Amino acid sequence: MRRSGLILSVVFFFFAVFLASPMEMKTAMALTPEGKQLIFDEAGLLKQEEYHELTTLAKQYGAHRETDIIILTTNNDVNGDVMKLTEDFYDEYGPGYDKPHGNAVILTLDMNNREVYLAGFYKAKTYLDDERLDKIRSKITPDLTSGDYALAFQTYMQTVDKYMGYEPGVNPDNPLFNVWVQLGASCIIGGIIVAAMVIRSGGRITINRSTYEDANTSGILDRRDQYIRTTVTKQKIQRQQSSGSGGGGGGTTGGGHSHSGSRGSF
Amino acid sequence: MQVIDFKCPNCGSDMVYDSESGMLSCHSCGRTDDIKLMPDPLKRNVFSEGEATEYHCKSCGAVVITDADTTATSCSFCGSGIVLGDRLTGKLAPALVIPFSISKEEAMRAFRKWCRNGRLTPNGFMTADRVKGITGMYVPFWLYELNNAVEVHAHGTRVSTYTKGDYRYTETQHFDVYRKIRLNYVDVPIDASEKMNDELMDKLEPFPYDQLKSFKTAYLAGYIAEKYNFDEKELFPRAKSKIHPFIEEYIRSTMTQYTTVNYTNKQIDTKLGHAEYALLPVWVVHYDYNKLEYTFAMNGQTGKVVGKPPISKRKVMTWFAGISASCFLSLKLISWMMGGGFW
Repeated sequence: MRRSGLILSVVFFFFAVFLASPMEMKTAMALTPEGKQLIFDEAGLLKQEEYHELTTLAKQYGAHRETDIIILTTNNDVNGDVMKLTEDFYDEYGPGYDKPHGNAVILTLDMNNREVYLAGFYKAKTYLDDERLDKIRSKITPDLTSGDYALAFQTYMQTVDKYMGYEPGVNPDNPLFNVWVQLGASCIIGGIIVAAMVIRSGGRITINRSTYEDANTSGILDRRDQYIRTTVTKQKIQRQQSSGSGGGGGGTTGGGHSHSGSRGSF
Repeated sequence: MQVIDFKCPNCGSDMVYDSESGMLSCHSCGRTDDIKLMPDPLKRNVFSEGEATEYHCKSCGAVVITDADTTATSCSFCGSGIVLGDRLTGKLAPALVIPFSISKEEAMRAFRKWCRNGRLTPNGFMTADRVKGITGMYVPFWLYELNNAVEVHAHGTRVSTYTKGDYRYTETQHFDVYRKIRLNYVDVPIDASEKMNDELMDKLEPFPYDQLKSFKTAYLAGYIAEKYNFDEKELFPRAKSKIHPFIEEYIRSTMTQYTTVNYTNKQIDTKLGHAEYALLPVWVVHYDYNKLEYTFAMNGQTGKVVGKPPISKRKVMTWFAGISASCFLSLKLISWMMGGGFW
């Protein structure tokens, strides 16, 4: 019994080492200067390969927009407010692409209260105002609700990258900015013009109703416009409701860093 | 069986109608005669119908080979312009004519230019130089005077919308509408020749009616002319259908204050005032390309060219791609200027 217990404990030990080793690798990677940690999966929502993929993606998009794209998941054992958690994280950890406490966008998932908070600092505050963060949040909320965290995080990064490409103040979802809308509209315009050219190549009719009209002898002999009745229909105006539960906005951290924000539950 | 030709009283050469001066002119000695002051040879002669219909050229005596509808042509043997008098008398006598103002050279030049400007025509079509076969033709037209009595009962609505509180109100006012309209059309041209494509002839309009002259055979000298195949009664339905959209437009134009109009009763009574037989000037080119024959016509007064040219698929695609690409680029530019980023 004792021998088997020893063997078992040895097996467990190796198993634990095996399990722990990737975690160690992760921390090691996060500490290297060019590979700073961007994903803080304290709630353990991501698989190993998902973590790596998302980190690569975050670095790639972050370099493109000169902004640290950060994800923070927490079980929130102390039951703090998700906005406060985000602000404290920023003050303590001091992320930033350009400098500590620099350009950063943070997605915080509070798994305890099932709340999500998005915050943009400095450049990200200018380019990702409350409205745009709201849009990003409403985009990823369905995936968060259904538990597709990796997919939601990927969408978050892609959308951050996309929205930061638009000047502040414009609506990033304007259909005019959509490549496919632009392509479709151009093809339709081209088609209409060329079709008109083909039709008109044979010459077109250049007479109108007044060409042969004898204006001197033509005219209205008698007219009557009798009012009968008036009918009125009414229709309720659909006011735009803010999507889902949520709202709030930006604020200033304890360390004095002002930020934009969007919070909601999932 | 009368053949009319126009010999120069000075030198005996053939005289032809000159589109620039509007005179009958002799190319040999330069004599010009004002057609309006000339007695028309038609009116001095009386013909009996049912005679043998073989014509001899007065200049050379050769048999004139013509179509049954031709009223003016040139002798295929000696080239002198001749007019077949008996096909222009009695019921077949034209009342009016618009002479050519565009000469053959101008017509050829204009047609070549039109071919070059054809943005969708194949390259081979443009370089092919077969414009020489151009013929100046007086096409028979009926000019209709149509009197229309229109009576319309309609239901019209005026819609206005406004918002109050949380509701959008749509207020519709209903009206009983009545219009009695007299609508007269004058000189509506309908082509009376079987040979000419109706659609093509319709596109040639408008003809400048201020150039209408009372008919003299001398205008036909040097040109081809046809006689009508359909009389004014046979073509009356076509005239009616031609002005029908104009009448509809006129009716609607008297009810512009309404948002919607539903006709409950509409009566259009079209009466034929009178129809005049007129010869209108058209330059015609028949063109073979890729085993297909294309016909082009040019208004002999205004120079307007009509006819379906062959369409090059490659050029259509090129234009489509070019326009679409530049549209795409400008849309990109607009979105970039609006702050949407170029990519």
